[in-house]
Amino acid sequence: MKVLVVEDEKGLAESISDYMNKEGYICETAATFREADERIYLYDYDCVIVDLTLPDGNGFQLIETLKKLLATTGVIIISARNALEDKIRGLEIGSDDYLTKPFHLSELNARVKSLIRRRNFGGHTEIRFREIRVNPSSRKVYVNGQLTVISRKEYDLLLYFLSNIDVVLTKVSIAEHLWGDNIDSADSLDMVYSHIKNLRRKLLEKGGSDYVRSVYGIGYKFGEP
Amino acid sequence: MKLLAKTNQIYLAFSLVIYLFAGLAFYQVVRIMIYREVESRLRVERLDFEAYIRLHKVWSDSTYFVENKIDVDPVGAHTPQTESFTDTLIRNRYDNELMPFRQFTFYVPIQGITHRVSIRKSLIQSYQLMEVITATMAACLGLLLLGTFWFQGKLSGRLWHPFYETLSRIKRFNLANATPLQLDKPEINEFRELNEVLRKMGDKMQQDYRSLKEFTENASHEIQTPLALINAKVEQLIQSEKLTETQGRWIEAIYQASRRMARLNQGLLLLAKIENHQFTDNQTIDLTALLTEKLEDMDEVLQHKKIAVDIRNSEPFVVPLPAALAESLVTNLVNNAIKHNHPEGRVELLSHADKLWFSNTGSSLTTDPERLFERFKKEGGSPDSVGLGLAIIKEICDNYGLQVHYQETNSWHRFCISPKPETA
Repeated sequence: MKVLVVEDEKGLAESISDYMNKEGYICETAATFREADERIYLYDYDCVIVDLTLPDGNGFQLIETLKKLLATTGVIIISARNALEDKIRGLEIGSDDYLTKPFHLSELNARVKSLIRRRNFGGHTEIRFREIRVNPSSRKVYVNGQLTVISRKEYDLLLYFLSNIDVVLTKVSIAEHLWGDNIDSADSLDMVYSHIKNLRRKLLEKGGSDYVRSVYGIGYKFGEP
Repeated sequence: MKLLAKTNQIYLAFSLVIYLFAGLAFYQVVRIMIYREVESRLRVERLDFEAYIRLHKVWSDSTYFVENKIDVDPVGAHTPQTESFTDTLIRNRYDNELMPFRQFTFYVPIQGITHRVSIRKSLIQSYQLMEVITATMAACLGLLLLGTFWFQGKLSGRLWHPFYETLSRIKRFNLANATPLQLDKPEINEFRELNEVLRKMGDKMQQDYRSLKEFTENASHEIQTPLALINAKVEQLIQSEKLTETQGRWIEAIYQASRRMARLNQGLLLLAKIENHQFTDNQTIDLTALLTEKLEDMDEVLQHKKIAVDIRNSEPFVVPLPAALAESLVTNLVNNAIKHNHPEGRVELLSHADKLWFSNTGSSLTTDPERLFERFKKEGGSPDSVGLGLAIIKEICDNYGLQVHYQETNSWHRFCISPKPETA
């Protein structure tokens, strides 16, 4: 899987590409419009992450070019502007997602994964982690082959964990993933806790192992026990 | 008070005083002149009288003067002999009218006996003269006063015209508009200079306003990128296995602070955008439906805090608002109602076609309700709150023809939104 990050803020581009590399993607960065333009002509990418405001050009233009060259490439816009018009325009010219800065790397990662899944397999692929099996098209979860009934939020939570295995997820990023940006953080952190508790319980009931670990009160990590 | 009315008033008062004073002085002067004339004639007559006495040694009443003109009375030797002029009134012999006279009294010895002699002259003609003169003068002065008053009014009206013109243009001047301040070039130097200065000030103000607007927006955008960087680095940092518990907590604090700053920044940016009227795509939106929907979305939080929602005879409350702002308005209202509610509290929505009430239970206010809608006014000291929610609600209402009122009764906090009454 090849991912291109077009972002002029060097530190941020570095963080994103480090994160992506750890997830097993081949990640390249471009800091300017010209550089990005060159790269999309030379190479094919599965996913391109584009910042809208670049020092020498506009991200929209880049997306338009990209879509003409290879329509199957997934596009995620990252922008400092939280404007509805930008989001609509982005979708119109063929981008798949829009994230407003500042965002969580884990959220970006989850979106990239979901995007690639949708693009490459039309969503007809199962996500597996040891004894856990998730079917995204039917939104069904199996543990040791047994159907496990979990709530909508618990499903979203599980999928978020499965997209970020062995990564510490902050409580805030989980809350915002589940309820969006406008959630009030004090209440949502309690709610995150109770959802995690329930999810854990349901997975354990079907004979699964406990994969969720709390990390210094910052957040949670899903991975090998 | 208008400038012209004020100058007219002062002018009128001043000229009245001057004219009154001039009239009195003139009257006095005329009077003194007449008296002097009469008295000098009386003195001449005294000489005539004394010459007569010297010649005839005796005074005969009948020979010399007619009616009331002279009185000759013997007086005792010890009477003080002082000459004097006096005013007196004497009854006319025929028609019994009182007539003004000037009387000259002096003492003359006739045949060895001192006599007091009073000779008089009628002042009736002089008085008439004085009356005529005074009346004419009063009429002239009055006419002059009216004339100058009228002229002065006309003149200052014309002189100050450019000033009033400038004033009305400044009143119509809108800082947020792109059109610069347009002013005439009057021929009077001072006004021309005034207009010149005002024009420069207007241009400067518009320029400053524009750059402030741009600054707010740019600053907010520029802040988002470093915040994104902090977030990303913190997220990478917490992946490290070697962190101690304490370091974890420090990082948590940094992370929370940067999230809060991001929220704050987004709030301020939104406020700036509303103030700058950057949302223009008004749509007709049913706020009641939107609020109901939002409450359903927040169902999980409401359940978590065990807050009961009560939606009663909600008729559609339709307002013209840009969709993004309607969403923001509703989100802030609902968040506020949840945040300041207590566990097992209630939220109530009630609406008519022209009014919407959104209320929640909660502990009493500690701050002044008047200042509740101000920026950074925080209630309850919640560290997660940035204190912009109500300011955003108010700003949206103010800019889109709505008004929002807050009232507290029996630990119910009620927000009432209604269209602003049309002001003529």
